[in-house]
Amino acid sequence: MAKILICDDEQEILDITKLILEDSGHHVLAVTDSLMVENLIEKEMPDMLLIDLWMPNLSGDQVIKEVRKNPNITHLPVIVISASKDVKEIAYASGADGFLEKPYDIDALLDIVEKHLMH
Amino acid sequence: MDDFLRQLPHVDQTDIRLFAAAVSASSNGVVITDNSQPDEPIIYCNKAFEYLTGYTNKEIIGHNCRFLQDGDRDQEARNLLREAIAKGEHCQVEIRNYKKDGRLIWNELMISPVKDQDGNITNFIGIQNDITRRKEAEKALAAEKSYLEERVLERTQDLQYSEAYLSSIIETIRESLVVLNEHMQVLSVNDHFCRFFKIAQDDIKGKVLFEHNDGRWNLPELKNLLINVLPHNNPFEGFEIESEFPKIGRKLLVLNARQVTLKGKYQNRILLAIEDITERREIEQRKEDFISIASHEMKTPLTSIKGNLQLLQRKAQRNNDTQYSEGFATASKSILRLEKLIYDLLDVSKIQSGKVGFSFTTFNFTHLINEAVEGILATTQTHNIIVTGGSSQIEITADYGRLEQVLLNLLGNAIKYSPDGNSVKVHISILPGYLKVSITDTGVGIHERDHKRIFERFYRADQIAEKFPGVGIGLYVCNEIIKEHKGTLWVESAEGKGSVFSFTIPVNRS
Repeated sequence: MAKILICDDEQEILDITKLILEDSGHHVLAVTDSLMVENLIEKEMPDMLLIDLWMPNLSGDQVIKEVRKNPNITHLPVIVISASKDVKEIAYASGADGFLEKPYDIDALLDIVEKHLMH
Repeated sequence: MDDFLRQLPHVDQTDIRLFAAAVSASSNGVVITDNSQPDEPIIYCNKAFEYLTGYTNKEIIGHNCRFLQDGDRDQEARNLLREAIAKGEHCQVEIRNYKKDGRLIWNELMISPVKDQDGNITNFIGIQNDITRRKEAEKALAAEKSYLEERVLERTQDLQYSEAYLSSIIETIRESLVVLNEHMQVLSVNDHFCRFFKIAQDDIKGKVLFEHNDGRWNLPELKNLLINVLPHNNPFEGFEIESEFPKIGRKLLVLNARQVTLKGKYQNRILLAIEDITERREIEQRKEDFISIASHEMKTPLTSIKGNLQLLQRKAQRNNDTQYSEGFATASKSILRLEKLIYDLLDVSKIQSGKVGFSFTTFNFTHLINEAVEGILATTQTHNIIVTGGSSQIEITADYGRLEQVLLNLLGNAIKYSPDGNSVKVHISILPGYLKVSITDTGVGIHERDHKRIFERFYRADQIAEKFPGVGIGLYVCNEIIKEHKGTLWVESAEGKGSVFSFTIPVNRS
């Protein structure tokens, strides 16, 4: 049982990811606005962040960089879920711990979440 | 003759005889007329004259010379003769005479007057040669000359026509053309050039290309290419210039140049063709952008569909509910196809824009084959894959993921296009410097005319397009990947006889 924060500007993605994780017993917070992510983490102290990369206002890699700079939340496991595998390197460079390409398999999502929650 | 001589007063008989013998023996025809008598009759002719005309002495003496022209009176030579006789002058003409048998002979005729002590003309002496042969030769020569003149005229006209024809092509062509000399001076430009660059012929003629348009053409690379066209006959094609040009703005131009290959006068010239590809490149870019954006956009709904489907499947399994298993399996397959299509489309767009990143690592090729075979076996219940050849020791340096994509694609095709078959053979051969993979199916086969074209983007063989779904990009992508690995991909096949797709990949030298 973990508290997981998801951020994606596409509502469809948020909905299905939330459903899958909840089906596995996790508590899920979901936002479409990347500007809210840092505050939410500080307030809710989730166990993990799943985040998209290409988003309006603030891109996923910038959010991750902010998180890594913030000493209160710097150790939070972050997994990037993106529609393009070409941005894998950008994700890791910004400080992400894992990367998952859309459209993903449920098993792959749950595996990567479990793996990084254990750390 | 003696009678004739006796009539001449005060002449030494011996000398006269000698002269008379000489005249008589001459091969030129000689006549003497008596101009003191009416109508100036001939009073003497020699043997040669008789031979020349075909008349006998009897038939000649007493006639005026004009009888030789028969009915051919209207000759300029006759006027000249008449005038000379009237004035008592020497005269030389070429005249048409007629032999007794009516044949035309050309004679060269000289007449000289003979005067008495008081200066009165008593006689004329005429000497004539047969110049018929010379005249015929001259006539033939003149005919030849006029024939040649006609031919020259014809050829000149032909050249003028073909020049007009070519220049109409040059002026109609939708490409700018420039002719340069060896000093890179502009000798001429076509209409399209003037219209495109919005300048007059005279503004550019004679100018050095590199100085034109404030040196916008002065690119070291272009200069180097152009300078080498003439000395080494090095044509070039597809050189791109992107620059801001006066009056017409930013343009992307592609340049081809070659030496004018005619020998002689025109050989030290360069023909430079300039094509404006600004718009075409923009359209291509927009098309690629569209494919890329559309493919990414498709991923979002597909993620939702796939996630929801798998979640439902999971819940059903949890409840031991099997009534929808078949539906789930079918839907999963369709999703997989859609996913593959999206990946292929993205690959095409990346290949087109040169954005495909390859990451080369060194790995054991057998692992790759095994993994691809396992991967494909998971998608089929109908076909076996039989792998033969190779060795466990083959190491290659390649992009693992991309080569796996090629193998999955070729194996997938082998299964897809052999719906009545039950096995696909994979054979690995080790060749000097290369390894070769051949994938053999027992399927519908491919007509020979399509063996090259099936590797083109979006091409699908007619008889295959009718029976099997697809968009025609899988083999294109495979071919591009194999090319990037410096290998080749090809097919051997005949309709109804199955297909063998083979590719080669260079192996590490050890």
